[in-house]
Amino acid sequence: MLKHRIMPTLLFKEVGLVKGIGFDSWRRVGTAMQAVKVYNMRQVDELVFLDIAATPSGARPDFQQIDELADECFMPLTVGGGVRTVEDIRELLWVGADKVAINTAAVADPGLISDGADMFGSQCITLSIDFRRAPDGTAEVVTHCGKQPSGRDPVEWAREAESRGAGEILLGSVERDGTMGGYDIEMIRAVSDAVGIPVIASGGAGSYEHLADAIKEGGADAVAAASIFHFTEMTPREAKRHLGERGIPVRH
Amino acid sequence: MSDVAIIDYGLCNLDSIRRAIEECGGAPLVTNDPGDLDTCDRIVLPGVGSFARAMANLRAAGLDEALVRCVRDDGIPILGICLGMQLLAEHGTEGGDTEGLGLIGGRVERLTPHAKERVPHIGWNDLELAAPSPLFDGIAPGTDFYFVHSHRLVGPEDERLATVDYCGTTVAAAGRDHIMAVQFHPEKSQTSGFHLLRNFLGYRC
Amino acid sequence: MVQYCTRCLYPDTKPDLSFNTEGVCSACTAFEARDTVDWEARRQEFLDTVAQYRSTDGGNYDCIVPVSGGKDSTYQVLRLLEVGMNPLCVTATTDALSEIGRRNIENIKRLGVDYIEVTTNPVVRRKINKLALTQIGDISWPEHVAIFTIPIRIAVQLGIRLIVWGENPQNEYGGPAAASGDKTLTRRWLEEFGGLLGLRVSDLLEIEGIERRNLIQYTYPDDDALQRSGVTGIFLGYYFPWDGWTNALIAQANGFEVLPTLVEGSLANYENLDNHQTGIHDYFKFLKFGFGRATDIANNHIRRGRLDREDAVRMVRTQDGKFPSTCLGKPLEETLAEIDMTIEEFHRVCDQFTNKRLFVVDSRGRPVRDAQGNLTLADTSYGRTD
Repeated sequence: MLKHRIMPTLLFKEVGLVKGIGFDSWRRVGTAMQAVKVYNMRQVDELVFLDIAATPSGARPDFQQIDELADECFMPLTVGGGVRTVEDIRELLWVGADKVAINTAAVADPGLISDGADMFGSQCITLSIDFRRAPDGTAEVVTHCGKQPSGRDPVEWAREAESRGAGEILLGSVERDGTMGGYDIEMIRAVSDAVGIPVIASGGAGSYEHLADAIKEGGADAVAAASIFHFTEMTPREAKRHLGERGIPVRH
Repeated sequence: MSDVAIIDYGLCNLDSIRRAIEECGGAPLVTNDPGDLDTCDRIVLPGVGSFARAMANLRAAGLDEALVRCVRDDGIPILGICLGMQLLAEHGTEGGDTEGLGLIGGRVERLTPHAKERVPHIGWNDLELAAPSPLFDGIAPGTDFYFVHSHRLVGPEDERLATVDYCGTTVAAAGRDHIMAVQFHPEKSQTSGFHLLRNFLGYRC
Repeated sequence: MVQYCTRCLYPDTKPDLSFNTEGVCSACTAFEARDTVDWEARRQEFLDTVAQYRSTDGGNYDCIVPVSGGKDSTYQVLRLLEVGMNPLCVTATTDALSEIGRRNIENIKRLGVDYIEVTTNPVVRRKINKLALTQIGDISWPEHVAIFTIPIRIAVQLGIRLIVWGENPQNEYGGPAAASGDKTLTRRWLEEFGGLLGLRVSDLLEIEGIERRNLIQYTYPDDDALQRSGVTGIFLGYYFPWDGWTNALIAQANGFEVLPTLVEGSLANYENLDNHQTGIHDYFKFLKFGFGRATDIANNHIRRGRLDREDAVRMVRTQDGKFPSTCLGKPLEETLAEIDMTIEEFHRVCDQFTNKRLFVVDSRGRPVRDAQGNLTLADTSYGRTD
């Protein structure tokens, strides 16, 4: 039986890892290398590494750094942040990423998804969707690290991405990110129901219950979390124990 | 120490498998030179991507002939991983009907999800061992390995080494004697994956 | 790309540091906040607090003071003796204790206290030092754990309910506001701010043959045991305006010994005297964040008006982040040999943890070293724009 994955997420900004709240008030929390090594020691299911400064600054991904980090990573690694072209995807896969997450560039040019999937296979292309809810509850896809509204609906965008060949969706709520107040279950459910490719829930996990909810209520295939694993006694291992107790298949 | 030729046919990153082989005590040589295959102890054929493109690249480099010669005629052990496993088969359907290397039987077709399943098949899934094989020596049935693929091998039952319960019963490992292939990624499957790689490195005909 | 505090020399690479709209870092603003504190009231609060825990019949200790023998712990012991407390001093032996460090520990005993020293299994300890160095770039990680867990374990075991710690490092070094106000040390504090860099004791199990029974002293008592024991900790730095330099003066007047020369890579001869591995520890901070111990010390002086920023910049430029070829006089190779690491391996690990964006690199992206092995910061302006 396919297990649900628990994926620690590392957010990288300029010179080091950060934690934020609502994609804002970033707080420096240490170096990427030690985080990768610790998670490797703990044999987590998969790791997500996002460079959140690359797109806003117009920089390309830091291939040298990813190369060094990937060398210490003996588990699947998804890398995103500042990926704009098929060349960027190629180079990232070359230096060691297993999957590449694309976000802003794909919204600007959805052809990037199809080009990437054609060249490297769907399984290498993860579409990262950040969304924000207006006060009336309507959701909108945002780009540029949560700063720019796109006018698109997350569910409809997810469907288009799938039809273009994306292998996976990484779905993140901007306002819930870093709050540890729970995922946006409704949106996770809406996107999971709309597509036939795996969906990873991101943004808001604060407890093991939240992780379970994202999977059971939201229908997510995998859950990504940053804050709970970096800042609390909670560990991916314990999370899996809890999920296992709730009848959710996880790897031990 | 085992000299392992890792076939580079320009399709994907080979760092992970190279380092994994190193960690497991092998001496990896990443190569696209058919000549290197004659002097190695064993071969790893990795791969991620399109069947058709992969075969085209292998042919262009003369690696297809070299692989068949070394493996079928000279008996050099080979481990195919993911797309590499599929390339060892007779036919692939992705990107048009393409001939594979024909070192194991079967054809490659797209995964068809059942009920709530999703494609690609991504994540950790547990194996059911179908036949005893040195590849799985010491690995308990039900061990999880990391899968990430949209196609699968459909091949003869007598070459089936392990299956996984996804999209019905899907072949997770296949082969006979010195020809071994796995659909999952041992180099990404941490302890269990490394155990399997060590088994491959230690395999004696 | 790196922003420096306009007052002191901290860069924004430093974890848990934030900057206000005027570009002043949280360590400086926390220091300024001291002016608003009623220190008289705090002193009284201290006296009231310790009075609650004082033994009524002299049958048990009034408190535990975790000590290393350094200037701060010497000062802490003196403060407590001065207010009539009977502390039990507890030391978690450092990893590579220096001779001067041992003499300073003996000096604490002579101040007139009972003393317990707990030494963790050195064979296991060295494995953990090496593991921590290679996995998180911090050779001193086991020490950071043990200096908290050992005194707490003793407190619980001996029924001594008060632990008096020194400064709350989050206060002096500008950590997140919530932590700065903390008076007490809970397990959560330790995990988040105790400098554990995300590595947990439980992560060590099954690596290099380390078993649960090897990690007894590193194990924090569980929440229930802690609750039942009623053990609480306080930071002396909350009640008295903390100044490491003044602590050193006071300690020296009471037998504390300093080095005749500056500690390598530092601006002080009065701290970090006890552990030959500290050079490696401080060096890795420099590799990761671009600042070392010299910066910390310069900043402490700048905040207290003893050093002007310009002079500090010049001093830090020459002293900070030196390759640790010796530490307290002991050659690096010897220290590495003790943890079974070659100098080549060491260079490899240094390289892995070097933040290439902060240093001058060659055309292949490798950090450039001078003849002594020192790296050069890419930006040595420390925020000066002239």
